[in-house]
Amino acid sequence: MALRIWIVDDHALVREALGSLLAAQDGIDVVGATSGENQDVARIEAEAPDVVLLDIALAGSSGFELIPRIRARSPETRVLMLSMHAEAEFAETAIERGAQGLVSKAASVEELIGAIRSAAAGATLPVSGLLTPRERDVLDAITAGLRDDEIAERLAIRVKTVDGHCQRLMRKLGIHTRAGLVAYGQRLQSQQDLA
Amino acid sequence: MTRVVLGDDHALVRAGIRALLDAAGIDVVSEAGDGREFLHAVRAEKPDIALADLSMPLLDGLEATRQISTTVSETRVIVLSMYGDAEYVRGAREAGAWGYVVKDDAARRLIDVIERVAAGENCLPADTGSFDDPLTPREREVLQLIVEGRKSDEIATIMNRSVHTVRNHRARLMRKLAVNTAADLVRVAEERGLTRLAAPGRKTS
Repeated sequence: MALRIWIVDDHALVREALGSLLAAQDGIDVVGATSGENQDVARIEAEAPDVVLLDIALAGSSGFELIPRIRARSPETRVLMLSMHAEAEFAETAIERGAQGLVSKAASVEELIGAIRSAAAGATLPVSGLLTPRERDVLDAITAGLRDDEIAERLAIRVKTVDGHCQRLMRKLGIHTRAGLVAYGQRLQSQQDLA
Repeated sequence: MTRVVLGDDHALVRAGIRALLDAAGIDVVSEAGDGREFLHAVRAEKPDIALADLSMPLLDGLEATRQISTTVSETRVIVLSMYGDAEYVRGAREAGAWGYVVKDDAARRLIDVIERVAAGENCLPADTGSFDDPLTPREREVLQLIVEGRKSDEIATIMNRSVHTVRNHRARLMRKLAVNTAADLVRVAEERGLTRLAAPGRKTS
């Protein structure tokens, strides 16, 4: 029996592109595609799809808000978040709100299909690469342009400790330069504004 | 049949757009996940249309548009983006694009723009505004790679230049933007809208 999928994304082109892609897959039916309006929850409840693919960044609100509403009205329906980026922080939040996990739009078609099947079976997708609160503090400070001695003072730790956190940040994030950390921090902050 | 080369770093979105264009009878002859691969494919295939997402890693859609417009006469560029700000549209026009489609638009509009541009219609006619850009093409290329968190030796390999040359570009960039460190370079470039927020740490496809 084919898996019934509903797509929620406020970019029409992306919605149609994903729909086109999934409709071409064996064993998957796209039963609805909407832009994240309030009435979506009622329509999803009526249609009862197996999985809802839900974009994090919806116009005027965030995808996170829709998760508990969908889960409450339609408990048999699993939610899989979609994001332009796949930061662990967002995956954690998604799971906390009741989604099975989060998939990046940079993932392959095979990864998406695998995630859909796992989500439909009720599995929680694994999350990797989480930053500790202290590492987040250091990243925020670097992004704000503080030097190591200023960061040390702000966080009441030694400069050597700041450097240690930096090294760990770069290793965890796969980034090799301070400049890269700043850019990553900026991206994270602009995504935070949407969550 | 209209021949298209497609560039977008989100593999899923790229695969989906390909499926849409296939269904509309448009031939996607090649696709790429980063700007350099995209430029290479366009030069090799010389398609009717090059569909360029603005925010590709290694070389963004705007720079790819500039280079294609000036070096591949057989190909017309259509820019694809999440954002429809007047500044981005103007930048695309100045770079030589023939069309601009936002991801908010329906697939029908993308196909419509492709067909019209392929038939010879410029959907982005020139206006009197000018786009003030202080950086040279090489400096823009180096800037993007710095924002992506790459070190000078890696940048040198990617651009097929010596590390010495890369460091010169870096120094000029910092002088032009009046900063002393690469970290400040990234911050100022972002504030002035010179980067497309390419993603550090992400592998190219």
